[in-house]
Amino acid sequence: MLVDRMIETEMPGDGEMPEELLNEKRSINAEMEELAKYVEVITKTIREMESPVTSTSDQLPQATSHLYDLAKMTEDGTHKVLSLTEELERNREGIQHHLEQLRANVAGRAVKDLDAILIMVKADEGRLLDIHVALSFQDLVAQRVAKLVTILNEIQHKLLKLVVIFGIQQQKGETGASGEGRGYEMLRQLESSKTTALQQDLVDNIMSEYGMS
Amino acid sequence: MIDTGMKVLVVDDMSTMRRIVKNVLRQIGFTDIMEAENGQDALTKLKGGGFGLVVSDWNMPVMQGIELLRAVRGDAELKTLPFLMVTAEAQKENLIEAVQAGVSNYVVKPFTAEVLQGKLEKIFANVQPAKTS
Repeated sequence: MLVDRMIETEMPGDGEMPEELLNEKRSINAEMEELAKYVEVITKTIREMESPVTSTSDQLPQATSHLYDLAKMTEDGTHKVLSLTEELERNREGIQHHLEQLRANVAGRAVKDLDAILIMVKADEGRLLDIHVALSFQDLVAQRVAKLVTILNEIQHKLLKLVVIFGIQQQKGETGASGEGRGYEMLRQLESSKTTALQQDLVDNIMSEYGMS
Repeated sequence: MIDTGMKVLVVDDMSTMRRIVKNVLRQIGFTDIMEAENGQDALTKLKGGGFGLVVSDWNMPVMQGIELLRAVRGDAELKTLPFLMVTAEAQKENLIEAVQAGVSNYVVKPFTAEVLQGKLEKIFANVQPAKTS
């Protein structure tokens, strides 16, 4: 034991020491004993950290990869929906065109019916466009995923620093981190965006303060 | 009234967003629409000439939208070009930075087709007609 090696309370010649010096030595020894126990606890704690730190730093690249896959999946899915709505819009335009031609060649009650159908067909133009624009959520998802990836890279970098500083045995050594401090800055941005993100009406108000509508 | 015959440059690193913005612009009536993936790519295309409007994202690799805006406003040939920022950068500081850099208007994602069209109408309502000699 480290404590046993360090603490030797009685040495040859101690008996010749004045009582005052001997008490001081005992006091120092007691403090050193406390310190040595503390060092042992810390050493044990660091050893216990070894497994979670190494496994976490191994898992982080996988998590990053999953996040990239997630962004890619949403991008592919969005393109698919965009293609389908574009196809629907082309069909809608074709139907509208045929209905307008048909309307020019009929009379009586049929005109009224065709007008009613045309109103419905034209209304779908706006709805299809709304579907299109609603898919802009994918861009927001991709941007947030990119920020999360940067944060994870930063955490991995910090964990690997711990591994190096405390001499923890580690199986893999890739850091994958870049730009010290960027991860924390992005984490701050993500956090603050929950409460301080501007809505369009507020943007308009601020723009009007600058004399722009 | 917007002159939909003009050439428009849509700048965004996300292919989905470029496609969405292009479709909204087409619905408004624009037919001559080009794309750029980042500010640098956009600047090269803009210097080729002929554009009447830029619709740009903020957060892009290589050259960000705000840098593109500053480059446009600093270029003698391009400085009056209408520049609409369509972005997820929704902090007040971002908006003020863009206004100070000379943005023509600002749309926060996610947006609606009506908002985009409304902003374009306002931009072109404020643009002075070119003087003929």
